[in-house]
Amino acid sequence: MALKGLDIFKLSPKKNCKECGSPTCMAFSMKVAQGSASIDACPYFSEDAKAALNEATAPPMKTIKVGAGDKEMSLGGETVLFRHEKTFVSRTRYAVSLCNCMDDAAIEAKLASIPQVDYERIGERMYVEMIYVNYSADAGVEKYLEIVKKAAALDRVLILGCEDPEVAKQALALVKDSKPVLNGANASNYEAMNAVAQEAGVALGVQGADINELYDTVAALEKLGNKNLLIDAGTASIKDAFATAVQFRRAAIKDGNRTCGYPSIVRADRLAHGNAHLQAALLSLFTMKYGSIVVVDEMTYAEALPLYGLRQNLFTDPQKPMKVEPGIYPLNGADKDSICVTTVDFALTYFVVSGELERSGVPCNLIINDAGGLSVLTSWAAGKFSANTIAKFFEEQDIAGKVNSRKLVIPGKVAVLKGELEAKLPGWEIIIAPNEAVQLVKFMKDLTA
Amino acid sequence: MTLFDVVFSGNDTVYGLTESAINDAIAKYGADKAVAFPDTAYSLPCYYAVTGTKVGNLGELKEALGVVKTLMTREQKLNDAFMSGVATALCAEFIEVLKYIDGAAPYEAPCYGHLGDPVIRELGVPLVTGDIPGVAVILGAAPTAEEGVALVKSYQAQGILVTLVGGIIDQCEELGYKTGANVRVIPLGKEVTSVIHAVSVAIRAALIFGNIKPGDAAGLMDYTMKRVPAFVNAFAPLDAVIVACGAGAIALGFPVITNEETFKVPKSLIVQKDVSKFNATSLEARDIKIKITNIDIPVAFASAFEGEIIRRGDMQVEFDGSRVDCFELVTTKDMAEVEDHKIEVIGPDLDGFEVGTKHSIAYVVEVAGKRMQSDFEPVIERKFHSYLNCVEGMMHTGQRDMIRIRVSKETFNAGFRLKHLGEVLYAKVKSEFAAVVDKCQVMIYTDDAMCTKLRHELATPVFDKRDERLDTLTDEGVDVYYSCIMCQAFSPSHVCVVTPERLGLCGAVSWLDAKATNELDPQGPCQVITKERVIDERIGEYEDVNEAVKKFSQGALEDVSLYSIIEKPMTSCGCFECICGIEPLSNGVCIANREYAGMTPIGMTFPELASMTGGGVQTPGFMGHGKHFISSKKFMKAEGGVKRIVWMPKELKEQVAERLNATAKELYGIDNFTDMIGDETVAEDPETLLAFLEEKGHPALSMEPMM
Amino acid sequence: MPFTGKSGKFSAKINTVTVGTGDKAITIGGENVLPFYTFDDAIANAPKVGIEITDGGMDNEPECVKKYYEGCSTAVDMAKKAATFEGVDFLSIRLEGGDPNGENKPTEELVQILKDIADAVDLPLVVCGCKNVEKDGELLDKASSALAGKNVIVLSAREEDYKTIGASAGLAYKQIVGAESAVDINLAKQLNVLLTQLGVNGQSIVMNVGSAAAGYGFEYVVSTMDRVKAAALSQSDATLQMPIITPVASEVWGVKEAMASEADMPEWGSLEERAVDMEIETAAAVLASGSNAVILRHPESVKTISQLIKELV
Repeated sequence: MALKGLDIFKLSPKKNCKECGSPTCMAFSMKVAQGSASIDACPYFSEDAKAALNEATAPPMKTIKVGAGDKEMSLGGETVLFRHEKTFVSRTRYAVSLCNCMDDAAIEAKLASIPQVDYERIGERMYVEMIYVNYSADAGVEKYLEIVKKAAALDRVLILGCEDPEVAKQALALVKDSKPVLNGANASNYEAMNAVAQEAGVALGVQGADINELYDTVAALEKLGNKNLLIDAGTASIKDAFATAVQFRRAAIKDGNRTCGYPSIVRADRLAHGNAHLQAALLSLFTMKYGSIVVVDEMTYAEALPLYGLRQNLFTDPQKPMKVEPGIYPLNGADKDSICVTTVDFALTYFVVSGELERSGVPCNLIINDAGGLSVLTSWAAGKFSANTIAKFFEEQDIAGKVNSRKLVIPGKVAVLKGELEAKLPGWEIIIAPNEAVQLVKFMKDLTA
Repeated sequence: MTLFDVVFSGNDTVYGLTESAINDAIAKYGADKAVAFPDTAYSLPCYYAVTGTKVGNLGELKEALGVVKTLMTREQKLNDAFMSGVATALCAEFIEVLKYIDGAAPYEAPCYGHLGDPVIRELGVPLVTGDIPGVAVILGAAPTAEEGVALVKSYQAQGILVTLVGGIIDQCEELGYKTGANVRVIPLGKEVTSVIHAVSVAIRAALIFGNIKPGDAAGLMDYTMKRVPAFVNAFAPLDAVIVACGAGAIALGFPVITNEETFKVPKSLIVQKDVSKFNATSLEARDIKIKITNIDIPVAFASAFEGEIIRRGDMQVEFDGSRVDCFELVTTKDMAEVEDHKIEVIGPDLDGFEVGTKHSIAYVVEVAGKRMQSDFEPVIERKFHSYLNCVEGMMHTGQRDMIRIRVSKETFNAGFRLKHLGEVLYAKVKSEFAAVVDKCQVMIYTDDAMCTKLRHELATPVFDKRDERLDTLTDEGVDVYYSCIMCQAFSPSHVCVVTPERLGLCGAVSWLDAKATNELDPQGPCQVITKERVIDERIGEYEDVNEAVKKFSQGALEDVSLYSIIEKPMTSCGCFECICGIEPLSNGVCIANREYAGMTPIGMTFPELASMTGGGVQTPGFMGHGKHFISSKKFMKAEGGVKRIVWMPKELKEQVAERLNATAKELYGIDNFTDMIGDETVAEDPETLLAFLEEKGHPALSMEPMM
Repeated sequence: MPFTGKSGKFSAKINTVTVGTGDKAITIGGENVLPFYTFDDAIANAPKVGIEITDGGMDNEPECVKKYYEGCSTAVDMAKKAATFEGVDFLSIRLEGGDPNGENKPTEELVQILKDIADAVDLPLVVCGCKNVEKDGELLDKASSALAGKNVIVLSAREEDYKTIGASAGLAYKQIVGAESAVDINLAKQLNVLLTQLGVNGQSIVMNVGSAAAGYGFEYVVSTMDRVKAAALSQSDATLQMPIITPVASEVWGVKEAMASEADMPEWGSLEERAVDMEIETAAAVLASGSNAVILRHPESVKTISQLIKELV
C-alpha cells in the first residue's frame, strides 16, 4: 500500500524552502506520494525518514530503463493489475526479431521493412521501437556481430538474444552505449552472463525451462546484486508463457514478491510458429496481459494499426481522456465551400464522429474545438464547450477566413447552444445534429440531399 | 342474506349445473372420452394452474370436480367466500370444456370462446411491457347500448385489452361497433361461464410469463394480483352466479366495479352508479397508469429547440416575472381533488393579447399519487424549464416567480394557445414522473388580479416553506442517506454519500434530488443507505454506510467518514466544484474552485489538487466538494468546522459569503467571518497568508493542531 | 525454492449457459477464475467463437469475405457454408436489413430467413436485431416465436426495449436473452436486475456489455469487463455473473483501418489483412478481458481465434 501524502508530509522538514522546486512541503509530499517527485529532491529529509519512505514508497515492480538518449524508455514500474485501479505507466514495446541464422537477403529485407511502419496517432509516434537480434551458434559469431551492427544503425533499442557470454560480450562491446537488453541468462550460465551484463551496464533478460527454474535464476541473480533484470516468459507454449507473464506480475503487485517484480519479454515470434495471424492475436493478448516487450517476426501495418491503437487506449490515465489536436479536419474531400460540423476534442468523440461522417460520404469540415479533452456533455457542463468558447475558438482559428460555408452543425446534446451561438457567430446558420453519432450518416445525407 | 351467502348460493348453483353436465356427458360419451381445449399445452389451464393436475378425460374431470368440492367450505369468512369464488370459476371452466368435446367449435363470430396459447403469448408480451396497460372484463349489458359502447371505446383508446361477456356483445353489434382480437376488443361468449376464458388468459400469463409452477395456488394468486392488471366491470342486475364469479375474480386480485347498489368491499367490490365513470374508477382501483406517447400541440416538440432564442421582433407575446406577477408551481393534492388531464385557462388566452405585449401568467400543476411526496415538487418543477423550451417557438427562462416566457408569432399562428402549454406540462409530468404522479391537472391563470393574488397567497408561502425545509433538513433529522454513483463510468471506485447537509461533490445532487432519483428509478444510481449502526459520531462513520460504500465501489473502498477530511475522507470522482486541502502553516484549509486558475497557498493549483484528489481514491487532508457544502455545519465538522477555512479565491468567497457568515455566526458567534479569510489578492503563499491571518486573529491559529 | 504465487481461484463462478440443442449445443461460462488463468483452476468451458452473416446474404459482405462463400447466393446458403468453416462454434445472424432507416425489410421476410437457416443448419444460433429500438421490439419478438425450442441467444435487450425482448425471448419463448448495455458496469448490472425483476431467469441471460474496435475507446471496454468479472467473482455479485458475449464483427468492420481502400491508403497494404488483423486483435483483447463468446465475420479470424483459445485453455 503506497503511503499517503499526509504521512509523508508529517516526516517532512515543513520549512517551505522551495529548494525541491515545489512551493511548499505539502505540495512536495503530495508529489512524492503520487510518484511524480523523488524524495531525494529534498535536501532536508532526515536519512532515517528517507530510508523509511524509500522502503514504503518503492514500487512493487522495478522500473527498468533501456535505450539511451532520446531512445531511452522505461519498462515495468506498474503498481496495479487493472487499469481502472490506477494508470498503467509503461506501455508495451514491440520488437521485430532478426537472427544470424537467416540468409542475407532475408536479413536485408527485414532490416528494410522495420522502419516502414512509422506514423502518428493522437500525438504519439507509432513505430517498431526495438529490434531483437537472436544469436545462433551454427551461423557463427562474425555474422552475428555484423547483424548487430546493421540493426544498431536503425536507431532502435536492441535486445541481444544470446546465451553465450563470450559472444554477448563481443556484441555488447559494439553497442553497449545504446543500452540494449541482453536476453539469455539461464540456470546454467547466469553467473557469467551476469558479469557481462553488469560490466556493460545493461539490463539482463532471464530465462528458465519452467516458471520455477526461472524464479530461482532471478533469485540467484538478485543475490549476485543484479536487480536490472527482465523476465523472459519462455517459448515452451502459449499457455505457459501466459501463465508466467500473469503469475509473475500478480505475485509482484498483489503479494509483494519483489523477485517477481521485473518487466517481461514475450517471444510471440517463437510462440506463433510462423502463423502471422496467430502472432497478431498474441500481440494483442500480451499487450493486455502483461507483456513489457513483445517480440514478433514482422510488423506490418495490418498488425500495427489495431495494436498501437489498443496500446494507446490501455495505457491512458483513466482520469485523463485522450485529446486530439483542435482545428479543421476536412473529410470526404471537403473544400472551403463544404458544410461545417463541430464537436469537442475528446479522442473518442472525434473517432466516433469522424468515422460516422466518413461513412456518410458527405464532404464536410469537421471543426474540433478545444474543450479540454472532455466529452460533449461533460465539457458543456464544465463551461468548456459553450457558445462563448466556440465563438472564441472560431475567432482565434479564423474559421470564417478559412471556410466559405456558413452552415454549422452542432451536436444534438448541446442544442441549447443554438440561440446563443447564432448571436455570437453572426451570419452562421446553426443546425442541430441528432443526439447520437450513429444517426449522423442519415442526417448528413438528408441535410445535403 | 350476507354477501357470503350470496356467493355460496351462486357457487352451489354453478356446482349443481356442472355436476349434472359432467354426468350427462359421461352418460353420453363414457368416462374415457377425451376432454381438452384447443391450442393449449395447459390442459384445463385454470384447474391445472391451481392444482397442478392435468385433466384428460371425462372420468378425470369428474374426479376434479370432487377436488373443487373441497374448496367449497361454508364458514362466514372472507377466505371461504374467495375459495367458493375460485370453485365457481373452475366449474365454469369444466362446463366450457365440455362444449369442445370431439373438436367441436362451439363459438361463432363474433365470439371467440377459448383463446389458444399463441394468442396468450402474443398478448402477454405487451401486457408484461405495459404496452397493454390493463385488461377489462365487461360483463352483462350496460343501461343503454350507447353507454356500453362508449365504455368499450374509452378502454380501447387507452390501449387496454377489452373482453366482453354477455349482453354487452349484443350492444356492440347493435351499434355496429367493430370487435376482434386485432382491435383488442374480444367478445368471449354470451353465457356467463365464458368469462372463464378471460380468467384463463390471466392464468396462463402467470404460467408462461411468471414461471409459476402449476399447483402453486398461492404463487399464482400473488402473480395475478401484482402483475396482471385486470378488472371486472359487471353491469346490473347481478345474480348470485355473477357475484360468485366476482368473488373468484377478487381472489385473483381483480377488483369488480358495478353499477348495482350492492355490498361493498373496499378496493375489491366497488359500486359506481355512473357508468361514464367506470373507466376512471376502474383504473384507479387497479392502479393502472396510461402511458402518454404524444403531446397534442400544433408545433414540434424536440430537444433541438431547447436553445432557441426568440427575439423581440419575432415575439407574439411575453410573460415576464421580473415586471409583473408570474410564477410556476407544482403542488400536491388528494386523489379526489385532481381530475386527470384537466387543463383550465383562467383569463385571456394568447389571442386576447396584442402582439408584442407583456403580461402576467401563473401555471399551477396539481398532481396526486399514492407515492407522491411534497419533496418531489421542486424536482418536478425544475424540469419545466427544459420542457417548455423544447416547444418550437417558445422560450422559457428562470424559475419560481422569476420566470420569463416568450411565444413566437409563428408558433402562435400555427395555432398554439395556452392550453397547449398545459398539454406539454401534463404529458411530460405524467410520462417522466409516472412512478409518483398518478393524476395531473394544469391550471393556467392570465388574469392580472388572480396572478397577483395567487403569487402572494399560494406560491410565495410554498417557496418559503421549501426554503425553510432545505434549511432545516439536517443529517440527524433524516433516517437514510443516498448513494450516488453517476460518475463511476470514469471514476470506477467512487461513491458519493449524499446527506441533507452534504450534497454531492459535483454540487448538482442534493439529498432531495437523490431521494427523488431513487423513487423514480429504484435501480438507478441513487440507492438508499441506512445509518443505524454508528461507529464514531465525531467523524460521522457508520457500519451500514461503510457496507454500502464497499458494495457500490465493488470492494475498492472499505470505509469512509462523512465529516472528516483527515480520517477516511470521502473520495472524489473528478466532478468536484471545489477542493479543500490542508495548509499546515496556518493550521487550516484552503479551498479552490474549478474556475480559479491561480496558485493556492498550499502550493498547488486547482488542476494539481484535482489530479491528486480525483479518481475515487481516499486522499487524507484533501477532499472534493460542492460550493454549497462550504457553509454547511457539517463541513469538516470532525476537525472543527468552517472556522478552519483560511483561504479561498475572492470570487468564491463572495459567492458563499452570506451563508458562510451566517453559519460562523451561529456556530461560533463570529461576525463577518469571511473578512478573516484570505484570498489571492492577499496571498498565494503560506507565509504571507499566515501574517494576514495573525493580523485578523483568525480562529484556526488557536485551534488544536490538525495533524 | 520454487515459485509460489497465491492462487486466484474464487469461490463464486460465472453462470453456465447452454445455447442451442442436440449434439452441436455449446456451453459457455462456469469458470471461477479470470480469463485463461488455467494456473489457478481449470477453465470450465472454453470461450466460443461464432461467425456472423446477415439477412442481406452476399450483398452485405465485403469482397474479402465473399470469396469464402463462393457459390452461395442466399443467406441460407451462406449459413450452411459457414457451418463448415474451421473453428465455428455457433452462427450469428444479424438482421440489419430490418432497420427502418435502411432497407426496412418487413419482419415476416426476415423471420422467414431465420426459420430457413434454423432448418438448414444444426449449429446454435444467435439472432441480432437491426439496432432500431422499435423495430427490434417487433422483429426479435417474432424471431423468438419462430425459433421456439431452438434455445437461441437473442441480441439484444437494451434499457429501452428490455421489457419487450425480455418478455418475449425470455418468458414467452424461453430463449436466452442477450442484455446489451453501453460499456458501464452499473448499466450492465441495472439491466440484469430489471430483466430478473421482469421474471427472466438470471441463468438464461448473457451480457453484451458493449465493445469497440481496438484503438477506438477500447479502454472503456477493458475496464468495464475487468470490473464486471471482478464483481462477479471476487464480490460474488449474482447480478453480474452472466457470461459475456461480444459481437466484435459489428464494431471492427466499420472502422477506417478495416474499410479504407488500398488506393486511398497505399502504404497500409492489403485491406483484407488489415480487416482480419483488426478483428483478430480486438477479439483477442476482449477474450483476455473476460468475454465468454465472440462473434466474428472473417473465416480466417474465426480460425485464428479458435486456435488461440485452444492454445490457452
